[in-house]
Amino acid sequence: MATLKMQNVTKQFGRTVLAVKDFNLEVEEKEFLVLLGPSGCGKTTAMRMVAGLEEVTTGNIFIGNREVTELPPRKRNVSMIFQNYAVWPHMTVYDNIAFALKLKHTPKDEIDKIVKESASLAKIEMLLDRLPSQLSGGQQQRVAVSRAIAVDPDIFLMDEPLSNLDAKLRVSMRTELKAIHDKAGATTVFVTHDQSEAMSMADRIVIMKDGEVIQVGSPDDVYHRSRTIFVADFIGTPPTNFFDVSIQKESDGTHLVNPHLNLKLEPEMAKYLNGYNKDHLILGIRPENILLVDEAKAALSASCLVSEPQGSHQVVAIQLDDNIIKAVAPAAPKIAAGSNVYLDFKQATMRFFDPDSTLAIND
Amino acid sequence: MTAAAASPAKRFRDFGSKAIPYLLIAPVVIYYIFFWIRPVLITVIQSFKSAAGTFTFQNYVMVFTDPNFIPALRNTAIIVVFSVTLEFLGALFLALLINRKFFGSSFFLFIAMIPMALPAVAVGAMWLTGFTAHGWINSLLYYVGIIAEGAKIYWLAGSEWKLLALIIVIDAWQVIPSVMIILLAGLQNIPEETIEAGYVFGGDYITVLRKITVPLLGPTIQTAIILRLISAIQIWLVIVLLVGFSRMPVLVERIVYFHEEVPALDISPLMASGYTIIVSVIVSLAALLYLRVSGAFGGKKEAAQ
Amino acid sequence: MTTKPAKIKKPIKLSRLISKTIFYMFIVTLSVAIILPAFFLVSLSFLSTREAYNYPLPLLPTLKTEYSMTFGDRGYLISVYDNFEEEYQTVLDTSETEKITVYMRNQLGTPYTIPEIEEQIAKLESGAEDPVYFSARKNIFLNYISFFQISRDAVPALLRSFQIAGLTILVSLTIGGMAGYAFARYIFPGRDALKFSVLFVRMFPGVAIALPMVIILANMGFYDKPIGLVLVYSVGSIALTIWITASIFMGIPESLEEAAQVFGATKFQTFLRVTFPLALPGLAAAAMYAFLGAWNETVSAIILTQFNPTFPVVVYQALLGAVGNVNLAAAGGLVMAIPSLIFTFIIRRYIQQMWGGVTI
Repeated sequence: MATLKMQNVTKQFGRTVLAVKDFNLEVEEKEFLVLLGPSGCGKTTAMRMVAGLEEVTTGNIFIGNREVTELPPRKRNVSMIFQNYAVWPHMTVYDNIAFALKLKHTPKDEIDKIVKESASLAKIEMLLDRLPSQLSGGQQQRVAVSRAIAVDPDIFLMDEPLSNLDAKLRVSMRTELKAIHDKAGATTVFVTHDQSEAMSMADRIVIMKDGEVIQVGSPDDVYHRSRTIFVADFIGTPPTNFFDVSIQKESDGTHLVNPHLNLKLEPEMAKYLNGYNKDHLILGIRPENILLVDEAKAALSASCLVSEPQGSHQVVAIQLDDNIIKAVAPAAPKIAAGSNVYLDFKQATMRFFDPDSTLAIND
Repeated sequence: MTAAAASPAKRFRDFGSKAIPYLLIAPVVIYYIFFWIRPVLITVIQSFKSAAGTFTFQNYVMVFTDPNFIPALRNTAIIVVFSVTLEFLGALFLALLINRKFFGSSFFLFIAMIPMALPAVAVGAMWLTGFTAHGWINSLLYYVGIIAEGAKIYWLAGSEWKLLALIIVIDAWQVIPSVMIILLAGLQNIPEETIEAGYVFGGDYITVLRKITVPLLGPTIQTAIILRLISAIQIWLVIVLLVGFSRMPVLVERIVYFHEEVPALDISPLMASGYTIIVSVIVSLAALLYLRVSGAFGGKKEAAQ
Repeated sequence: MTTKPAKIKKPIKLSRLISKTIFYMFIVTLSVAIILPAFFLVSLSFLSTREAYNYPLPLLPTLKTEYSMTFGDRGYLISVYDNFEEEYQTVLDTSETEKITVYMRNQLGTPYTIPEIEEQIAKLESGAEDPVYFSARKNIFLNYISFFQISRDAVPALLRSFQIAGLTILVSLTIGGMAGYAFARYIFPGRDALKFSVLFVRMFPGVAIALPMVIILANMGFYDKPIGLVLVYSVGSIALTIWITASIFMGIPESLEEAAQVFGATKFQTFLRVTFPLALPGLAAAAMYAFLGAWNETVSAIILTQFNPTFPVVVYQALLGAVGNVNLAAAGGLVMAIPSLIFTFIIRRYIQQMWGGVTI
C-alpha cells in the first residue's frame, strides 16, 4: 500500500473544456478517500488520471515516492473497479480474476491460490467456472471486486461501483466494500455522486464542483462545518435550510432578520460576524437543528405545509415565500397540515455564508 | 369472462387484428413465390433436362468435363481464400485505426468509404485504364521514378498467378471499406470500459488486442467473413473487363460467357444452367453456414427480441 | 465562482510531437493510396484522346493546347505542343479545314470552328508569320458529351437506370416496409421461418434467377423492358428493406403507438401520424440503399436487356470495346459513379448504424 499525491493536476479537453482545474490532493496510506460531487464535476476524470486512462494536461501524480504521471496504467500498480463492472464476457470468472496474474507470469499454483482467496473475500468462490453472462449484476460486481483485490495494488480505484445496483444491494455492498478495504489495508479512492454513500464510507471526503475542489474533510467536517453553500446544500438529507437575512444591531444584541424570522444571536455566534462588513448574509441550518418550541420562544412562526412521518420522527415542511423549510420533529405529537408551528434554532450549529462568495463566515 | 358471446362486429374486429400481420407479409410471400421460388425451381429443373427434354445428369457431366471448369473452380477458390484473408486483415487494421477517434477520423472514414461507393463498371474502367501498358499505373511509377522512361510493366500479360494476385489486390481495394464498416460497428459495440480494464490489469496494446478486443469481436468477424465469402465467390466483372472472357475463368464469368458471348451454341443454355446451379449451391452452403453461426436460425437472439 | 474557460499552454513534448506527426503522415499517405485510383479515373475523364494515349499519362489535364501551323506537303502542317517532351509534334498534314476541326475536337478536346481555322490559315498565307502559333481552350467536359453522343444508347440508358431505380424503391419500400413492420410489431407462427427465408434470399446469387427470368419475363412481355429489371431487382431489394425497416420500426417504442390509440386513433391513423414520420429518416436510408442496389447492378442487367440497356450495361459495352477512347469510357464510368457517391455519402452514418444496430 502506498500514498497518493496529486500536484497541480489539470485536465483540458479540446481547447476550452477544463474538466479538472489545479487539483491538489494527498491521500494517506490505508485511507478511504471519497471524491464526491454532481455529474460533470471532474471526479471521474481525476480518478482516471490516477489510473492512467486519461493523459494529464499539466501537473504530476505520485504513487508512494514514484512519479507515475507518464506511465501507462499497467506500470502504476493500481487496480480499478468500473461503474459498469467491465468484466470480460468471453472469459470465465476464474480467468477474469487471473488475467493480470497470468500477464505477470506468476506461477500457476500461486495464481490458483490468489484467485481462490480473492474470490472468497468477495464471496464468489463457488462461481469460478461461470461465464459473466450467467451471473446477476451484483455477482458481476463481485467479480470486478475480486479481480481488483487479486493484483494486490498500491491503490484501489473505484468508479461509482455501486451506482448500477438496486437500492438494497447497494447498501449491503457498501458495508462489504468497506470491510474488504479494512481487511486488505488498502489505500482507496472512491468516486460517487451519492452523498449518503460518501458519508457512510469515507475517512475523508473531497467535494468537487466544475473541476475544482470545494472542500476536503472528514464526514463530520463537511457535514457540520460546510465551507460553502454548495457543500451545505449537497450534503445531508434533507439538506440544509437557507435563509436570506439582514443583520440588525439592536440594543439587546445582534439580530438576524427577514420578513418571517427574527433571531437574536447568542454572543458566541455574534462573535463570528466581527470581521464581516456586509449587512446581510445567508443563514444555513440543518433540519434536525430546528426545534419546535412554544410561541413565546419562537424565532420563526409559520403554518405547516405538510408533515412527512418517518416512523421515528417526522419531517415538517413549511413554506416561506418561494422556499420550503424542513424541520425534524419528534414523531409525536403529529403536526397537522395547516396548523401553526413555532420554531427556534440550535444556534451553535448555524452556519453563516457570505451571499456573494458563498463561503462560510464562521471560520 | 362474461357469459355474453362476443358480438359479430367484435369477432370481425378480433379476426381483423389477428389477420394484420398476415396481411402485411402476404405481399412478400406472394412476390417471392412468383419471382424467386419459381425461377429457382425452373433453373433447377432446367439443369436436369437435356436438349430433348428428358431427365438427365448429362448437363452436369458436361460442366464437370468442361476444360474450363477446374480452372474456374480453382481460380475462384484462390481468389476467395486470399482476398477474404487480405481484406479481413486490412479492414481490421483500418477499423482499429479509425476507432481511435483522432482529429479528422470521420473525414478519413468518408475517404475510406469511397471505393465501396463506386459502381462495378466504374471500378472496372478505373483498373482497366490503369493496367494497360500505357495506363496510369505505369505513368505514376515513372513519375515517382521507380521505372525508367521506356520501360513499361506489362501487368496483364504473364502468368496466371500474377493475374490472380492483381485481381485479389483490385478486389481488396474495393471491398475493404465494406468489411471495415462491419468491423468498426462491432468495435464500437464493445464498451470502452471493458477494453480499459485490460489496460489497467496489466495489458499493453498488443496484449489487449489479442486477448480482449479480437475475441470479443468474434461474432462480428464471423459475419464479415461469411458475407465476404458469398460476394467473393461471385466475382467476375473486373476480370472480364481486364482480360476478357475465358482468359481467366471464374464461376460466374462462365455463366455470363455462355449466356451472352456464345448464346447460339447448343450447349450454351445447358452449360449456363449447370454453372448457375453450382454457384448457387456453393453460395447457399456459405449462406447457411452464416445463418447458423450468427444464431439467426432460432438462436438465442430471437428470445432477446 | 467565475468559470472562464482558460487556455492552458500544454507543455510540448518533442517525442509526442514526433509520434503525432508520423501518425498523421501515415494517415495522409493511406488516404492518398485509397483515393489514387479514383483520382486517375477522374483525371482520365478530362483528358483528350491524344493525351489519354500518350505515355506517360499527364497527371492533370491541360486546359489549353498550343498549336503551330505551317505549310506542309498536302496543305497545312498542324503540330501540337507536347508538355512532356517540350516540343511541337506534327499530328496532321491536310488541306481540308473540316478535317482539321474534327481532329482538334475529337483527338485533342479543343473544339475549333472552321472560320477560326480559316483565320489562322489567312495569317499563314499572308506571310506575316510562319509558322503561325495559336492556342485553343480545352473543353474538359468534352468526353462526357462525346460519350453520350457516341453511345446512342447512353442518354436513354441513363434515364432508364433512374426510372428502374426509382421504381425499385417504390416496390421495395411498399412490400418490404409492410413486412418489416410485421416483423417488428407482431409475433406470429412462421415468423422465424420467414425471417430465415428472407435472409437466405438476400444472400442468394442474383445471377441464379436472372437466367430463368429471361423466359418468365418474356412470357409476361417484360423482357428487355425496365419493368422486368424492376421485378428482378426488387427480389433482393425487398429482402434488404425488410431487414432495415424491421430494425427501424423496432426502434420506435410501441408505447408511442399505444398512446395514440388511447387518444382515439385507429391502427392505420396511428401508423400514418405517429410511426411513419418517426421512421422517415430510416426509411430514407432504406430507399437510398434500394436505389444504390438497382443503380449499380450489372449482371442481371446484361442478361435481361438487349436493345434497351441500363446505363451500367452501356458503360460495360463501351469498356469491352474500349480499344479506342478509354477516356470516354472513363467519363461514362464517372457519370455512373456520381449518384452512387452522393447517396453513399448521405447515408454513411446509416450504413454504420445498420451493422451496429441490426440484430438478425
